[in-house]
Amino acid sequence: MDLYRRTLFKILGLTAAGSSLPGCEREVHNLVPYLLPDGDIVPGVANWYATTCQECEAGCGTMVRVMEGRAKKIEGNPTHPVNEGKLCARGQAALQGLYNPDRLQGPLRREGKRGQGPFRPVTWEEGLSEWVEQIRIHAGKSAMVTRPVTGTLASLLTTMMDSLSGRLVMYESTGEQTLRTANHLSFGTQALPHYDLANADYLLSFGTPFLEHWLSPVSFGVAYGKFRQGRPMVRGRFIQVEPRLSLTASNADRWIPLRPGTEGLLAMGIGQVLLRDGLTNLSSSHQASFHRTFSAISLQAISADTEVPQEVITQMAHELSSANAPLIMGGGPAAAQTNGTTTLILINALNVMIGAIGRRGGLQWMEPQDPPVDLANAGLAGERTLMDLAMEFEQGSRTLLHLYRADPLFTLPPSLKFEGVFDHAQFIVSFSPFLDDSTSMADLILPDHDPLESWGDHVRQDTIPVPAWSVSQPVVRPLYDTKPIGDVWLDAAHRLGGSLGERVPWHTFHDLLKSRWQAVLTKHDSPRSFETRWKETLQEGGLWPSTIPHHQISPAIPSITYKPPQFLGNSSDYPLYCYPYPSLGLHDGRGANRPWLQELPDPLTTGIWGSWIELNPTTAQSLGIHPGDRVRVTSDYGSIEASVMMFPGLHPDMIAIPMGQGHRAYGRYAKGRGVNPVVLLGPNYDEQSGSLATGGTRVRVERIKGGSQLPMLEQSGKNPVFGNLQETGGL
Amino acid sequence: MFGKFKGVILALLAGTVATGIGALYSIGSADLPVQDRQPLRFSHRLHAGILNIHCQFCHRYATHSPVAGVPSVALCQTCHESLSEATPDMNMLQIYWNDKRPIPWIRLQRLPDHVYFTHEMHLFAGLSCVSCHGKVDRMSGTPRAPTYEMGWCLTCHEQQGASRDCWTCHK
Repeated sequence: MDLYRRTLFKILGLTAAGSSLPGCEREVHNLVPYLLPDGDIVPGVANWYATTCQECEAGCGTMVRVMEGRAKKIEGNPTHPVNEGKLCARGQAALQGLYNPDRLQGPLRREGKRGQGPFRPVTWEEGLSEWVEQIRIHAGKSAMVTRPVTGTLASLLTTMMDSLSGRLVMYESTGEQTLRTANHLSFGTQALPHYDLANADYLLSFGTPFLEHWLSPVSFGVAYGKFRQGRPMVRGRFIQVEPRLSLTASNADRWIPLRPGTEGLLAMGIGQVLLRDGLTNLSSSHQASFHRTFSAISLQAISADTEVPQEVITQMAHELSSANAPLIMGGGPAAAQTNGTTTLILINALNVMIGAIGRRGGLQWMEPQDPPVDLANAGLAGERTLMDLAMEFEQGSRTLLHLYRADPLFTLPPSLKFEGVFDHAQFIVSFSPFLDDSTSMADLILPDHDPLESWGDHVRQDTIPVPAWSVSQPVVRPLYDTKPIGDVWLDAAHRLGGSLGERVPWHTFHDLLKSRWQAVLTKHDSPRSFETRWKETLQEGGLWPSTIPHHQISPAIPSITYKPPQFLGNSSDYPLYCYPYPSLGLHDGRGANRPWLQELPDPLTTGIWGSWIELNPTTAQSLGIHPGDRVRVTSDYGSIEASVMMFPGLHPDMIAIPMGQGHRAYGRYAKGRGVNPVVLLGPNYDEQSGSLATGGTRVRVERIKGGSQLPMLEQSGKNPVFGNLQETGGL
Repeated sequence: MFGKFKGVILALLAGTVATGIGALYSIGSADLPVQDRQPLRFSHRLHAGILNIHCQFCHRYATHSPVAGVPSVALCQTCHESLSEATPDMNMLQIYWNDKRPIPWIRLQRLPDHVYFTHEMHLFAGLSCVSCHGKVDRMSGTPRAPTYEMGWCLTCHEQQGASRDCWTCHK
């Protein structure tokens, strides 16, 4: 057909007119008033409620902006001693836990085969009756696996499981078990010190990802700001030692890569130089024992094994001794080996040698407080404890399993065979608010409220200068037919009756919380009425003294022998070390159902919404692998497939994979996305702490067919840290 | 055979579409009462005019909130439950109250999202409600407001000596 000018204009006119049609639709908005006015709510004016973040175990204080009964935004509580008004991305994304479309909206009962669903909605009365009946049937054979909890909930769960002769296991995969064990052996206390980074002027960190997810990243972030910029004439110097350049390492003045698992050996080398050159603060009586421990291996051998030149070791030792307030921290990948506890004990010993114990700008412990239960005495478990529990289920001495916000089927490697618990358990109850991998195997689900709908408290008595007893309060009405776990356990106690009902006479968790806080507040502020003080505490977000006396620690560095790390898989078949690291946003995977965290770019690779394998470019070149190629990573225990991302800041003999993806369930945003690197890991433990050595498995990488562009924020080929990856070599 | 009339057909089609658009546009700007029919006929003339109830008795957030607020159903009931006379609309109110349902009023005044406006600030400056909303105390059926366009706002800001900085309203 010939297209004339007029016809063209007509068609153009038609198209323009047609395209404007949808714009003519008239919007109708409604103004829906309250049926009954709420005295506390002024439409258009926000109410801010102080509460406590429960996205990780740090317990940051938060302020939630609520408009007309809807939580809109979460910020940090400026007066809270943990985070001083700051908040991380995970804390901000807590709103997507509340409003998540995949939240369980009421109690559910499994109908089909275990693990295959479907689940049928039941009433709370039906659910609670069946559960209590199961507790009666399985008397003395209960067990509970929960994420670490503190305060009133920890004491209630402990009381309940004690009364039922059950076993309570608090587990988190990136937990602090190794660090606590090492501290117990070095300093005689499970409590972690306050690392006084803000007042230090030299920081030597052995792998601690303290700006990412370690212990209490927001409080470390605040302290790091003061360390670098908070004092007029002092800018703290920061050295990070680890095999992979993490976000924390990329902030350091100097990153020193070393062979995985040899952090303890490097600490030994530094200690050896300090002793050799007379740079320690040790008394003469201590000198001999330290000499025995630190001079067992020659500096030359240490340098060869760690791949850190002798002059660098010497330089670090001299820098430490010349600083006014040096501080040494160890954790993260340094603790994720079979020699993790030994490594951390050696690092603790270095702190003793430089006189950092109890010093300003060093490690400080606060006087033990009258315990509300905190993480130090709540009994955190390593993977070995979970294996003991699995054995009890296999032997039949445990038959009833409770799960609370813990997802061991996702976070534990299949090689540990923990799924046997789900085969042997005769009944499984989950209180989780989402259908995660483990909850999918439950027989009965009694979903908990979201933390923004719940009463609670959180106790943090270590890693910060003063104890923080924080309160959580409901900031919105419950969205669904869920019940807080505390109420559910109290209800069960009364249904079971007898002495149990007498031990926990409260009818709601709120009553229990108030009664515990009455004791605390009366002790700390007796002249005023409890109700007045309680309201003030809720407004402030908790209770924290301004100062507290320091606890004097007498370090007892045991005479230890350095143990080289043990790896599963021989080096000829599996030439590479594997390092699965917790993702900044998704952590161990619990953030994977929050789209804000999925789209939060990894700060070093800018990867989003998926998994990737990080490979040093020189290693990739020798294997004939190009950026974006699809590879299979295989260990003796499993294999995964994903695309390759070039990462020059990585030891050439090592691959790194972010954790958190690869869920089999856990809602629309998490399910089936990416791969879970823990499937590669074998049952390799740090024996002293009973923690899984997540860096203790060797792998091989082979190119396979396929490959696609990875979802990344930065698509120009330039990496924010390393520049153009095509031109950047390896280490 | 259509080749000959192709131009005519296209012109007709374009005309039809243009007429349709014109009609839709005029409906959109003409405040047809059908579109703005409230769930029950509330008369500002009766309440604010004849009964002389102060605007802020019902719109009670105007002095301390960005929005003036619509009264809760309970507030309506404080007077209406003691009235013996009942019109169909009052019966309707009673039904909402008995069913514990809020009344889904149609919103007649709305500023675009990119405009920052607070009632509080304007009342504080001494403006009265009728300065912007017109003599609602004489209107039995409240019509959709004339569009609050920027020029209209600016004229008043100029007359009153208020800020004319862009950031005042477009934050």
